[in-house]
Amino acid sequence: MTGYRGSHATNAQEAAEWSNRRIIANNLRAIVGRAYPRIIGLTREPSWVFFEILLPFLAVSAFVFVYRALEAPEEYIGFVVLGGAVTSFWLNVVWMMAAQFYWEKDQGNLELYFTAPMHLMSILAGMAIGGLVMTSSRAIAVIGIGSILFGVTYDIREPLLLVAAFVLTMIPLYGLGMLFASLFLMWGREASHLAELLQEPIYFLGGVNFPLRALGAVSGVVVAILPLAVGLDAMRQLTFPGPLSQGLLPVGTELLILGAMSIVFLVGARFALAYLEHLARREGRLTLRWQ
Amino acid sequence: MAVTDRTGVPVRGLTATDAWRSFRAAIGLGWAIESNWSDPFLFAVYTLAKPLAAAMILVIMFQVVTGGGNTEFLQFLIVGSALWNVVFGVMAGLVQSILEDRERYRMMKYVVVTPTSLFPFLLGRSLARMLISFIAVALTLVVGVFFLGVELRPNFLILIPALVIGVLSVLSLGVMMAGWCLQLRQEAWHYPEAIAGALYLVSGAIFPIDLLPGFIQPLAYALPTTWWLEASRRGLLGHGSPGQLGTIPDGTVMLFLVLATAVTIPLSLAAFAWFMQRARRAGLLDMVTGS
Repeated sequence: MTGYRGSHATNAQEAAEWSNRRIIANNLRAIVGRAYPRIIGLTREPSWVFFEILLPFLAVSAFVFVYRALEAPEEYIGFVVLGGAVTSFWLNVVWMMAAQFYWEKDQGNLELYFTAPMHLMSILAGMAIGGLVMTSSRAIAVIGIGSILFGVTYDIREPLLLVAAFVLTMIPLYGLGMLFASLFLMWGREASHLAELLQEPIYFLGGVNFPLRALGAVSGVVVAILPLAVGLDAMRQLTFPGPLSQGLLPVGTELLILGAMSIVFLVGARFALAYLEHLARREGRLTLRWQ
Repeated sequence: MAVTDRTGVPVRGLTATDAWRSFRAAIGLGWAIESNWSDPFLFAVYTLAKPLAAAMILVIMFQVVTGGGNTEFLQFLIVGSALWNVVFGVMAGLVQSILEDRERYRMMKYVVVTPTSLFPFLLGRSLARMLISFIAVALTLVVGVFFLGVELRPNFLILIPALVIGVLSVLSLGVMMAGWCLQLRQEAWHYPEAIAGALYLVSGAIFPIDLLPGFIQPLAYALPTTWWLEASRRGLLGHGSPGQLGTIPDGTVMLFLVLATAVTIPLSLAAFAWFMQRARRAGLLDMVTGS
């Protein structure tokens, strides 16, 4: 049964009196539709190859040279390269997930999302899937180029566990991005400030260029809230097994923390989105540009 | 003195007074966008946390490897990291002003059709970010002195001319980039970071340039930023960088800074003029790319 109700409805999904099958198909189409420009953009906008790989790679190179100047053990060079790759995902989460709804508002797309009969979580999921695919290619390039140029060697003894650690890092990372997408929109014009604030301070707290345990007591707090830090610590333990990469916690414990974070951030994102939708309809100003 | 047209009639808007008025109005606008529109607490945190975190990353890397020895290298790191805020602030300020006014606020075409030049407006509009970057420099140095054992031995005879000439050179590089970004899509948001990242790597901001591959070292010696950093280090710390650059006499460092800047300024102004001309002809001043 499909159609549109003539009576009052609180949102577009309610107004569309669709069968469950059609609702699911519609939301799947929304996911694919929002992921599409990010994936197809890889081939249509080749300039990203230069800037999106060059940018993280330059930062990686600078930190590698600092370690070389300090005559640090070679494992630290590997830490920096791996950290640089994971940083690409964080940048994607901050700029293309968290700040995205704000940009969409400025471009006039957000009001279309609110009026279309689909769930906004589908849009966020599409953004996350597209961003993950797009950024994976960048991260692989950073690891490949960095490993060749700086002679990094890896000792991966448990590849499946490493894959699990990666996947379990990405879920809460993008979940956090989904949560931030709503929050950034509510905080308005400070979106770009917030996005910048979530760069260097997070690289520092996340131990992107050094072992997390070097932060001392602060690392205990970081492990509880920052998936980037926990995931990176676990991946380092699985990629460079040795005394220098001794993690803050055992890998198993860190994976459990990441699993818990996944649930918390995704549920949090769902609630934040519902609140946002409520605000958008009640106050009618969330879709106003430049606010 | 007013500029006149071929018939001798004064042309309005091209006087120094008009340029100054435009510059002053743009300063107010730039500051409003950067600060007043933000929550004051968030603005303070954003201004302070980002540069401090960037410096702390280097400090922890240093501590992890050396355990606190070789304080001369730590001073080199902190001063380099602090000064780099100016390069990034100036470049990002100029480029983002151009892109924001074209893509987001869509005011660029109106500014260009007023009788004044875009140039003073652009400088004024980006001044707020430049000022913020100087606050970041001061703050990082204060933290370095009080908490990390940095010993400043200022030599104002070197420091002040180095600061003035260095800022002029960075400003001219930023102006060239702003003109270049006018030719590009909205993706150019990331270009200042990419270019500043490349300069960060090549100018020896956080490691001696002797560590760079041999074919990049001539480029490092040709850049004004390399000489500005070196002269500023001598002006602040009383000694130069570790490595070959540190053995060059003070007078020679200042001479190379002046020469590199003297080449950079006219080149950048000519490039900006050419980019503006091209933008007018190609209709790029009101282009909205919406990427």
